[in-house]
Amino acid sequence: MFKNIAKYSALLAIGAGVAAPVTTVDAASKPEKIVFWHSMTGQNQKSIERIVKDFNNSQKDYEVVPEFQGQYVEALPKFLSVGGSKKAPDLFQSNEISTKQLASSGMIEPMETITKKYKYDINDIQENILDYYKIDGKLYSMPFNSSAPVLYYNKDAFKKAGIDELPKSPTYEEITDAAKKLKDDNGKARLSILPYGWTFEELLANQNQTLVNNENGRKKTATKSTFNNEAGKNVLNWIKTNADAKTLVDYGTGANAGDNEIAGFTSGQIDMFMNSSASLGDIQKNAKFDVGVTYMPRPEGTDANGVAIGGASIWQSKGKSDKAQKGSYEFLKFATSPEEQAKWAKDTGYFAINKKSYDTDTMKDAFKETPNLKVAVDQLNDSKRNPATAGALITAMPKERVNTQNAMENVINGKDVNSELEKAAKQTDEDIKAANEQSGE
Amino acid sequence: MHKRQNLLAFGLLFPSILVLGTFVFYPMIKTFWLSTQTTDLMGNPINSVGFKNFTNLFNSEIFRTSITVTLIFVLVTTVVTVVLAYWLAILASSKLKGIGFFRTIFSATMGISVTVASILWLFMFNPQIGMFSRILAFLHLPDINWLSDPVWALVAIIGTTVWMNLGFSFLILLGAVQAIPEDLYQVADLNGASKWLRLTKITLPATEPTVFFVTVVTLINAFQTFGQVDILTAGGPDYHTNLLVYSIYQDAFVNHAVGRASAESVVLTVIIMVVTFIQFYLNKRKAARYAD
Repeated sequence: MFKNIAKYSALLAIGAGVAAPVTTVDAASKPEKIVFWHSMTGQNQKSIERIVKDFNNSQKDYEVVPEFQGQYVEALPKFLSVGGSKKAPDLFQSNEISTKQLASSGMIEPMETITKKYKYDINDIQENILDYYKIDGKLYSMPFNSSAPVLYYNKDAFKKAGIDELPKSPTYEEITDAAKKLKDDNGKARLSILPYGWTFEELLANQNQTLVNNENGRKKTATKSTFNNEAGKNVLNWIKTNADAKTLVDYGTGANAGDNEIAGFTSGQIDMFMNSSASLGDIQKNAKFDVGVTYMPRPEGTDANGVAIGGASIWQSKGKSDKAQKGSYEFLKFATSPEEQAKWAKDTGYFAINKKSYDTDTMKDAFKETPNLKVAVDQLNDSKRNPATAGALITAMPKERVNTQNAMENVINGKDVNSELEKAAKQTDEDIKAANEQSGE
Repeated sequence: MHKRQNLLAFGLLFPSILVLGTFVFYPMIKTFWLSTQTTDLMGNPINSVGFKNFTNLFNSEIFRTSITVTLIFVLVTTVVTVVLAYWLAILASSKLKGIGFFRTIFSATMGISVTVASILWLFMFNPQIGMFSRILAFLHLPDINWLSDPVWALVAIIGTTVWMNLGFSFLILLGAVQAIPEDLYQVADLNGASKWLRLTKITLPATEPTVFFVTVVTLINAFQTFGQVDILTAGGPDYHTNLLVYSIYQDAFVNHAVGRASAESVVLTVIIMVVTFIQFYLNKRKAARYAD
């Protein structure tokens, strides 16, 4: 009998121990919980959680609860399956290509509703970043982590092969030339152009070429692709030239291809490649050589038009209470403030989306410490503001990326440029049509 | 009396009917139904389109490529896995000192998850630092882009899958080979039978039911391959490793075309059903032949 009592009391104690934190929170529970789904991993996750923690400590009315929901591709279907219900998070981070899907899903409250309601000064945010998340002039989500592609190269390898450092805005021809010299020096291919839809889009944008019609789907819903022309051919021909010259390393199209490419660069297997500026932090940390960063390349004889931003923004669920909405707003205001964005940019390599961040000491010090960080920012500021650099807005974006990626891969494997481009354009037309039918547009 | 027995039978079956109904039949019927619908982004049906999803599928070159590579993949994977596993099982059934070590090694792939195995192979297929590229370079053979050449990518996926499935098939077959009574071989030895005769007249017939079982399991597993594709190639290059299950996943969760994905699932179900029926039919005929 006594034994049992001991057992029960032990159980009771454990039970109380488990329940205690819950009850104490309940007792003192005044802060409104704001659930925030994000897809950040590694260094970026640490940084985003630090922002949340700083916000929670800065006031007592709201408590933001960050929840990692897998990669962007995994988180989106999760959101779409609970969107509009009570289970939906207050805030949801999603990547740029889901913009059209989310905007027309009916599950989100356009960001403009709360920026207007609470008089958020939108003028502090970088215009060309805002452009991406505006549809028909209306802001749908709050820019948060934005990046753009840049060209990375190994300065030490260039020196060794006796090549000049790359200029600010290099041409395809200059890259090819350098790739050939690097191969002569090393005996192996040293350039990688990853068969990846995003790279293709950015190389189009840099030639002031939209991906789809109706001003990249920004004036009204896009109905057709627009890349089966000179601009598209320029990109594929450049790839072909390097594939034929055997100066190209092909990392393929697998889920880890991008990571392999970065690892290949930092371990000295390749000397030139294009990737997101957000990888800069990791690259600089792991590379044991002098890393060079420059603008995305352009065909000879053309002006660089600039790049479209990539990355993600934060969306707000529809149908949340006024208090929750206010809390979401307060958090977003905090997260996009000059100082927070400066810290975020310094830690991750993403842009600071707040223009005033560049006046902070944090940012100035970071630029002094890592001048490469500034290259991506300069490229973005030098980018012309037009539909091409605003980025394409279509629901069928994932499919379009696969189509153009296949065209790139096939060209690397020796197929014809013109027919591959035509095939990709035709398939994209069909995919756009199917997606528009699906969403009733 | 009869009625009561029926009632009792139903009562006893009810729990399993309930479980199967909820988790197998209902989703299956719903998939069939969804395959005749177009759906919105959330997967809710918008309108009924009859068999349009299916006609669209069969008119699409991408889907035809998918079906073709899936069939090639399944056939090659199954045959290679079973033959290789059988060979290893015979090798490992010999009574040598330290054979336990090899038995453990041969079945070790069973304990490795798909993701880990895929990442391991991903390193080996790496165009620059991978083992295969190094070997080719050492032998002065032309370099192969393992994961980005349409043909070699499929070979790479097949190789990875065979390696992964090998452990399980090997273990089951080893059990079967070891269960053959020793005296059969002793009699064969007395009669001076060759190794080949011993294999074809004793070992193979005695293990046939197990081989059948392993073949069916490997085949169905192969049809459901997903992880390797996702990690090694993501269906590329140009859909040449876009196996059906991966294509279903892409359409359902990335492209948000649940109707199309459901139609693909139905096609896959029908294919697996037909193939399994053929196998059972062949096996039955064989069993009948032996009975004669």
